[in-house]
Amino acid sequence: MDLILLILIIILVFIVVFFLLIYWGFYNRIIRYENRIDNSWAQIDVQLKRRADLIPNLMETVKGYMKHERETLENVTKARSAIMTAKTPQDSINADNMLTGALKTLFAVAESYPDLKANQNFLNLQDELTHTEDKIAYSRQHYNDSVLAFNNTVETFPGNIFARWMGKKEKQMLQIPEASREVPKVSF
Amino acid sequence: MLIEEHIRKNKRDTAVICIFMLLLLFAVIFAIGYILGAPPIFATAIGLPIAVTYILITYSFSVQSVISAAGARPANPQNRDEKILIYKVEEMAIASGLPTPTVYVQDSKDINAFATGKKPEEAIICATTGAIQQLNKEELEGVIGHEMSHIKNRDILVMTVTVGVVGAIALIAEIVFRMLFWGSISGGGRGGKKSGGGNAIVLILAIVFIILAPIFSRLTYFAISRRREYLADADGAYLTRNPEGLARALEKIKEDIPDDPKGSKTVAPLYIANPFKRALRNSIWSTHPPLDERIKRLRSM
Repeated sequence: MDLILLILIIILVFIVVFFLLIYWGFYNRIIRYENRIDNSWAQIDVQLKRRADLIPNLMETVKGYMKHERETLENVTKARSAIMTAKTPQDSINADNMLTGALKTLFAVAESYPDLKANQNFLNLQDELTHTEDKIAYSRQHYNDSVLAFNNTVETFPGNIFARWMGKKEKQMLQIPEASREVPKVSF
Repeated sequence: MLIEEHIRKNKRDTAVICIFMLLLLFAVIFAIGYILGAPPIFATAIGLPIAVTYILITYSFSVQSVISAAGARPANPQNRDEKILIYKVEEMAIASGLPTPTVYVQDSKDINAFATGKKPEEAIICATTGAIQQLNKEELEGVIGHEMSHIKNRDILVMTVTVGVVGAIALIAEIVFRMLFWGSISGGGRGGKKSGGGNAIVLILAIVFIILAPIFSRLTYFAISRRREYLADADGAYLTRNPEGLARALEKIKEDIPDDPKGSKTVAPLYIANPFKRALRNSIWSTHPPLDERIKRLRSM
């Protein structure tokens, strides 16, 4: 009788320990994935700021050459201030897409100013702005990858049970607005 | 098949081969123990330190020896082509969520690139001047994505460990050959107690196994190297979300005839394509899979 009781207790202890180990693993994993999302957002934010910081330089360089392109230049400045005032991640991404569109137009227009195209400063800025845009695209991709990994853990069994206990819900991916896929209109 | 599934399958296959390599090493050690009539613990006590020492030596000198063998120099951000290379490495680092590797350039007309380093935090990516001049941005991005994946998968470490296992097995086999030659095996304790026919067959099998083990391990090493390339192709395409970029870069590499490659043969498995010869057929002796097959797999993603 005592032996059966002992075996039962041992089995019970094993089940509890096993369960705690699984919980431990999932708890750490969910927290780790969540931190990864925060970190990848910080990455995007750094790039957005960097890009916004480059704009005044670009304006300064371009101003002297493009006297008759007020609208184009204004659009760039407007998009820049939209980035600076954006509150949510999705707002920042939308503003960044606006800036991408405005810059595309500006660089297209710049094609018709040979003096500007020969300006080393302008070329460097153009390279760097394109580079930060690519970086933003890749950090956005990494952000969405991180969200996907988090959501997969939080929504599949048995992660969904632990996630409910921890009060964690699935997160939203960053969407690319339709407008940014349009080709910029250039009129000469 | 989805790119994610490709990567998962490749990872699983690679794990199987790595475990197989370790089992092979232990099988060799135990076979010797059996032949000598020594307890397995005793055989392990001799065999393992040899393997571990070998691995540690190759491990601690890997980075410097690779960089100096290739004659690589740090990339110069003042040069526009090299600046674009640095940019692409930064972008791929962001896409993979890893710290940015140090960028090196190797002066060579050959289109090639490699990654090295002991861990992702201290990694190096090196591209030839041929690569940065002849590849467009998209193609260069594909190549860098491939190298970034080598870093992410800790390939350089796995390859070094594998080289260590291959070396250790070769060393052990050498010792057994010597012992067979001197006839010192007859002095072992195993034959004395039970000299049945079955025992003799096992003994012969053990000897044959040790003789074949070095060839076996070398073939596995080449297979691992090829699999790592496929895995890095798939992973790299996942990073750029553009398999076509790398596929076109590989096409350019295929048409490009290798030109005076620097770097020793030991570095060759690290390059994105073997700098000495371009394998057209699938051979068990080549370190890289044939380019046509790689391009085909990339295009089917």
